[in-house]
Amino acid sequence: MSEKVIIEIRDLVKIYKGSDEPAIKGISLDIFQGEIFGLLGPNGAGKTTTISILCGLFHATSGSARIDGMDIHSHLNEIKRIIGVVPQDVALYPTLTAWENLTFFGNMYGIRGIKLKEKIAEGLSVFGLEKHANKKIANCSGGIKRRINLIAGLLHEPKVIFLDEPTVGIDVQSRVVILDYLKELNHKGTTVIYTSHYMEEAEKLCSRVVIIDRGTVVSMGNPRELVAEHPEFKDLENIFLHLTGKDLRD
Amino acid sequence: MFKFFSACRKESLILIRDLAGLVMLFIMPMIMVMILALVQEQGWSSLSKDPSIPVLLVDEDHDTLGAKIQDGLKSSNIFKIFTSIEGKPITREFAKEKIAKGSYNVAVIIPKGSTKIIRHKVQVMVTQIVSGIMMPVDNPFLDIQSNDSINIIIYFDPGIKGTFKYAFMATMKEYSMFIESSMIFGSFNTELKKMFPQYRPPKTEYKESVFFTEIFPAGKDEKAVPSTTQHNIPAWALFAMFFIVIPMTGSMIKERDEGSMIRIYTMPVSYFIIFMAKVSVYAVVCIIQFILMMLAGKFILPLAGIPSLTIGSNYMGILLMMIVSSLAALGFSIAVGTIARTHQQAAAFGVVSVVVLSALGGLWVPVYLMPEFMRNLATWSPLNWAHVGFIDLFLRDATIVDVIPQMAKLLAFFIVMISAALFYRRINSPINS
Repeated sequence: MSEKVIIEIRDLVKIYKGSDEPAIKGISLDIFQGEIFGLLGPNGAGKTTTISILCGLFHATSGSARIDGMDIHSHLNEIKRIIGVVPQDVALYPTLTAWENLTFFGNMYGIRGIKLKEKIAEGLSVFGLEKHANKKIANCSGGIKRRINLIAGLLHEPKVIFLDEPTVGIDVQSRVVILDYLKELNHKGTTVIYTSHYMEEAEKLCSRVVIIDRGTVVSMGNPRELVAEHPEFKDLENIFLHLTGKDLRD
Repeated sequence: MFKFFSACRKESLILIRDLAGLVMLFIMPMIMVMILALVQEQGWSSLSKDPSIPVLLVDEDHDTLGAKIQDGLKSSNIFKIFTSIEGKPITREFAKEKIAKGSYNVAVIIPKGSTKIIRHKVQVMVTQIVSGIMMPVDNPFLDIQSNDSINIIIYFDPGIKGTFKYAFMATMKEYSMFIESSMIFGSFNTELKKMFPQYRPPKTEYKESVFFTEIFPAGKDEKAVPSTTQHNIPAWALFAMFFIVIPMTGSMIKERDEGSMIRIYTMPVSYFIIFMAKVSVYAVVCIIQFILMMLAGKFILPLAGIPSLTIGSNYMGILLMMIVSSLAALGFSIAVGTIARTHQQAAAFGVVSVVVLSALGGLWVPVYLMPEFMRNLATWSPLNWAHVGFIDLFLRDATIVDVIPQMAKLLAFFIVMISAALFYRRINSPINS
């Protein structure tokens, strides 16, 4: 991990249309190049909203954000070239095969020809999906869909990758493969920003985490350091519950 | 550019994979066009081949007028005349009751003494004319006024169409005028015979002497005859073409709901390229649809005894008109698909607005039959521009230059719709916010 700030967020606020309550209330944080950064929080905390603003899906109501020194409003197209996004839902065409989906999304990132074929073959191979290349997405299992969903966001070798709960609803084997690959990517220099409800997973994977609740940052730091700072709590999950409470969220 | 072609390939694959849906996209509009053309064409043309509209005739006159009207209606080959039912002569009350119940559509009551009144009126008139010739000065006959008139009563089922009522009334007026004229002719002969015993009336009967020759000037070719086919096939084909709004918006909203569009929004590709690819692929679908419908009008419908569709010879003009009409339909679909948040919103708005635009555009009822206010509104419907363009190309031997105004308007409509979609996308988040 370098000391270079790759994502700089300042006083970011988002109020959705028809809502009085801001979804995020002036979040400020820096993410360093080469980090695996965990965005943690209960449902409705503002994790997906924050990622969506950084990816250009939403406009922030106020505040600013820069990725690799570029403002997300004025340099969105340039930013889109260096980021990869793996949405929470499986964002693939069900009637197309895995190969066809990856070809299309690779093309949209500007990759084509032999380079794209090699990248797709490599992605499928890493995730053990070679034999599913020509299977329609609609006929694939949840775990396979999740892995293809991940490959689609990585084809162009992004500098920064946003993953919104990439391991939700899949078996342990698929989860391990995905997390191992994220570590490998990170070793190669990719900054990984990752949201999850699995505290144990975040504790193992992330170099730093931020805990967001009701649109504000309630804690931030290295997971092990956070646990060390609160010796009364055994792990990150207990710290998380302590900070965000045990009330059920919408 | 390869992003555009890649998006086109993706759209084509999605369409091809849903083979049943694709077949329906081509077959259903063809079925719709053929059924509607058959129903409308048969509705009118069958009238001249097979008397099918029942008319109750109550002849209280029992004289020439009643007989002549009955003969006239029968000879029209449009109406089936009933003067009795189950052996019993139809009375005025019975006819009124049957019409009120909706069992029959029309009843004609020829009141008692109608012929006598006409005869008297004609006699007075003829006498005045003849005596005026014989005694032009101080003739007391010349001051006699005959105010007698006959009131033929016609009961109409309140549920019948206004156009049918007008057509029937026009037929009745035509017969009654012809009958009156022939009675004048007959009375003249009788009166002249009375006054001049040596007068020998002509053996010929009174016959119409005014005839009409129908010519449809259409550039070089005057063989093109307007028919319901000629109006209906392009009209319903355009109607079906604009119904592309349903699959097109369905595809857009599905992409959004499934999340693939959200992923695309995070990629370095413009929304314009993505939906232009969609427009290109669906434009091919629209053009194939239209060609199939024209072929049905030209080759399949004649097998059912319907006049073949005349499409003229300006094939390049037709192709260009098909392209701009498809673009107009697809631009509209893109705008609806971009703004609508759900399938329900898109389907409800899309279907109703296509029906309204087509009715307004003269696809259901020709524009020239509309009131002036509606005629002005019709000039704002893209379906009207397309329909006028096709009619000009098919029947008026129009050149490409002749239909440039229609093409330009359709193209402008497409650009406005696409711009509206882009503007909406620019100011609104791609996901519900």
